[in-house]
Amino acid sequence: MKPATVELIFFIYFFVALTTLSVLVVAARKIIHNAVFLLMFLINTAAVFLFLKAEFLMVIQIIVYVGGVLALYVFAIMIMNIKEELKHSKYIKFYGFGLLIGAALFLGLVYFVKDAVQIGQLLPKLDSSYLGKLLYSYYLLPFEILSVVLLIALVGGIMLAKKLPKEEK
Amino acid sequence: MIPLYYYLILSSVIFSIGLVGFIIRRDLIVMLMCLELMFNAVNISFVAFSCYNGSLTGQVFTLFSIGVAASEAAIGLAIVLALFRNISAVHTDEITQLRG
Repeated sequence: MKPATVELIFFIYFFVALTTLSVLVVAARKIIHNAVFLLMFLINTAAVFLFLKAEFLMVIQIIVYVGGVLALYVFAIMIMNIKEELKHSKYIKFYGFGLLIGAALFLGLVYFVKDAVQIGQLLPKLDSSYLGKLLYSYYLLPFEILSVVLLIALVGGIMLAKKLPKEEK
Repeated sequence: MIPLYYYLILSSVIFSIGLVGFIIRRDLIVMLMCLELMFNAVNISFVAFSCYNGSLTGQVFTLFSIGVAASEAAIGLAIVLALFRNISAVHTDEITQLRG
């Protein structure tokens, strides 16, 4: 098979898998099933990153999302231990409006991206050291600001989630 | 090489599904998961632009976006946990304290 055909087959697989998994994340009944579908979605996204020559981002995606964020979700689900969500309806009453808004946004996005063309060269084969040099030279200030944002998120998360002392009534 | 707009259409499909899920679901945790879907859609389009235009800037922005998404998940889950602990609400239409 020609390389272009193989690439197209892989892209069709990614498209079908990512679309199906994101629909399942939205539509599954139990919250832990949503979390498992989100896990598979994130791993497929990491594969798309590898396919687009971003192997460092694939590793970061798996470490941060699958190892950090998804573990946080699973712990929150286990702490809350919700049972009564199975009795209630899972969508809001006027979900047709939501579908209409989503369809309108999708049509607008397709209208904007349908004549996107490639300018310049493809990305050559690079290893992660180029990304590191760019990150620590030109993008140094945003990198430092991001570290402050993460620190504040850490402190704020602990402050919000900790048990408050009983109020005197 | 497949064209660039295939990846952009994939990204817009995932973003639209995430937006619809954010609007129509009632559970707070599932709404946060739909936010993660939208973050990932945007990341896919960043990396696709980076690959097809021969510049590493898209990958750097994806790194920043992943960091912001991680802090957003931590803060959002802490707020959901505080809501559950104080007024035992897990659905959006049960949070009616500000309505008066």
